[in-house]
Amino acid sequence: MFSLALKNILFYKGRSITTVLLTFVSAMLFVVYVSMMDGSHKSMLENSLKIYTGAIEIYKKEYRDVGGNEYLIKDVEKITKKLELINGVKSYTTRYETYGLLSSKENSSASMIAGVEALKESEHSSIQKALVSGKYLSDLSGNCLYMGDGLVKKLKISLNDELAFVGAASDDSFAADIFKLCGIFKTGSFGFDSTSSFVSRDYFDALMYADNKASYINIKVDNLEDVERIKADIQKALNDDTLEVLTWKTLMKTMVDAMEVDSIFGYISLALFLIVIFFVIMIYGFVNISSRIKEFGVLESIGLSNTNILKLLFYEIFILTSLAILIATPIAASITYYYTQNPIIIEGISEMYKDYGIVSDEIPFDFNPFTIIWNIGVIYLLNLISIIYPYLYIKSFSPIEASHHV
Amino acid sequence: MFRLILKMAWKNSFLRLSRTLLVIIMIAVSMSMMLALQGLYDGMAENMLDKNKRSDSGDITLYAKDYRLNPEIKNSILDAQSIKEDIAKMNGVKAVMMRLNADGLASTARKSSFASIVGIDLAEEEKFGEFSEFLNSGALNFSKRGALVGIELAKTLKLRIGSKVIFSTQDASGEINSIALRVRGIVQTTNIRLDNFAIYVPREKVSSFLALNSTTATQISISSDDETLQKTLQTKYSQLDVKSFFELQPMMQMMQDMMVIFNSITFFIVMLVVFIGILGVMYVSILDRVREFGIMLGIGMRYKYIRLQIILESLIIGFIGFVLGSIFGVLFLYYLGVYGLDLSEFADAMQSFGYETILYATIKLSYFTNTFLAIMMASVLSVLLPLRKIKKLNPVEVIKAQI
Repeated sequence: MFSLALKNILFYKGRSITTVLLTFVSAMLFVVYVSMMDGSHKSMLENSLKIYTGAIEIYKKEYRDVGGNEYLIKDVEKITKKLELINGVKSYTTRYETYGLLSSKENSSASMIAGVEALKESEHSSIQKALVSGKYLSDLSGNCLYMGDGLVKKLKISLNDELAFVGAASDDSFAADIFKLCGIFKTGSFGFDSTSSFVSRDYFDALMYADNKASYINIKVDNLEDVERIKADIQKALNDDTLEVLTWKTLMKTMVDAMEVDSIFGYISLALFLIVIFFVIMIYGFVNISSRIKEFGVLESIGLSNTNILKLLFYEIFILTSLAILIATPIAASITYYYTQNPIIIEGISEMYKDYGIVSDEIPFDFNPFTIIWNIGVIYLLNLISIIYPYLYIKSFSPIEASHHV
Repeated sequence: MFRLILKMAWKNSFLRLSRTLLVIIMIAVSMSMMLALQGLYDGMAENMLDKNKRSDSGDITLYAKDYRLNPEIKNSILDAQSIKEDIAKMNGVKAVMMRLNADGLASTARKSSFASIVGIDLAEEEKFGEFSEFLNSGALNFSKRGALVGIELAKTLKLRIGSKVIFSTQDASGEINSIALRVRGIVQTTNIRLDNFAIYVPREKVSSFLALNSTTATQISISSDDETLQKTLQTKYSQLDVKSFFELQPMMQMMQDMMVIFNSITFFIVMLVVFIGILGVMYVSILDRVREFGIMLGIGMRYKYIRLQIILESLIIGFIGFVLGSIFGVLFLYYLGVYGLDLSEFADAMQSFGYETILYATIKLSYFTNTFLAIMMASVLSVLLPLRKIKKLNPVEVIKAQI
């Protein structure tokens, strides 16, 4: 049956070439498009994770929903000691965040001010790497303020200028101080850079009465794929119902959902192309079969069963699809691999879409063998489905009817 | 003669019914899916564009020269009231509104966030952009220190109708001022910045809070279809920055351009594949009837009539596919236009990216005219190759060979 299928393929060249060509186009389109979609989503998430959000964060329950000083973590040391024993936790850092008004001589602006452990923070976020002028914080940098360049512009200040801070301390008392601008950072995230400033944790704790308190604990893990397991281990170790351990999937739920919506639209668009191509492959298969009815009638008369006919059609489409896939897969995989290593750069795209959290002009692809395999699997499946109607059509003829068919 | 050829073409089109039906279904399915997708994408983009215009900058906006670089209240338009009144009298102006904006800190008892106080006149806003349509919950009510809050800001600060919020900022004299407000309504404009940061308060209240004259505003926005109006305003108010919607929001222009490019590529690929489909069927259909055409040529029928018959066959199949596709397309688009595509499950994500949770499709005549032309063209082009084959036929040899 296999050799008969091979002969048919060589004999009906028009149908064979069209099927191979269309399958090649579908496979290329599918693999490359999905890779680009996954790559840009992955990059957006990774960039956001790199900037400030942790893979895992520990909060006092209600802090994120209700907020307020009564929902601060109050015994930080006890918790962090337990974290050190958990497998997969690479490092952790604590942050004390508050909002306040910062005033320069000319302007005032609201700011998120975070007290951070300077050294540890540099491993957990990209704020140190984002330094553009001045210097980063140290544990001994006192009232030095490390500020986003958007906020610096808003306040119209420059390095070493003084700023007045007014806010509320952790015991709800009034807190005020004079800070000095020591460093400016620019992560590329428009929202973050125009709203955030940082100060050494030790200094800020004294000002805000926040010793051994934290808004949350930020955790870096060895492997991002292990977050669920590590989260479970942390929950077990803490054994505290008043705390919640959240992974990046929850912390960045809005972005994860947005990616999902984008993927849905991407797949809908792809489905349109694949369905049209599926129809054409089916039509070519059907046209080919319908012009061979007589041949099938003769074959059935000499003892070929329906199963054999199905086998024949299966071999034909399988050989043609495999041929197309064999050519398309290495090409598509090479394209996706190349653009994973050398992302497409569209100058100005991050500036244009800054409100949407785009921080880079790069559009990387995602080279993932598993994704390529399931993409190819879908193409195989569609092509195999395309023989069902032609097969049923042949089956509707009795051998005698088929032998007399013109 | 034409009637006879048309009759023959019609009958021959359905000679191989299954084959013809498959092509018709292919055209109908691909066309209706393509139209639904185009309508949905266009609907999304148009909705976003329309709401962004109506909720903020309109078609043209006037700012003080330095305001866009330094959005501070010292860069306000001092005689905004009289400018607004003058503009309202100009030809081609549908509506004008002015706003007074200032950035600051919004705080509740538990949370704080950046915010912008936006001084508006509700009646003016209603006329300008049907502001009441943006109300998500609560009421458009400024009584008893009432304020309207952007939906994302409300989420950030966990505000509900009746919640108290304190807004602090620097006034015109450089002093830090605070104002206590009560949330009366939550608005969703799909304009990301407004939804994330805006606290709408009566304009006169914002003027007195910022220690400014009531005639002062940071922006004057105009709704107009007149394309020459911007030039006129630029000449008349050369001391101000007069910008069109797309100059202020280049991202919207880019988004619209990208949508056009995406829809065009989709259209081209789908039509190309449709062309290949029709070509395959027409090619085989003609080859099946080579003997028939040989006889027709043999008994003296001129080639041009055979050509006409084949073209008509292809056009009939394409046309029926188009009609069926149009019916399905209209049904899809009507459903998506009236009921929309409900993505409430992803409400937070949609809202944070400036989309509504239910996406509505738009329907344009051009979808159908363009597709009609493309399908008809694909139908005609698909028979060119088989026609060449027929033209080269030697009637005697063909009849002999088949016998």
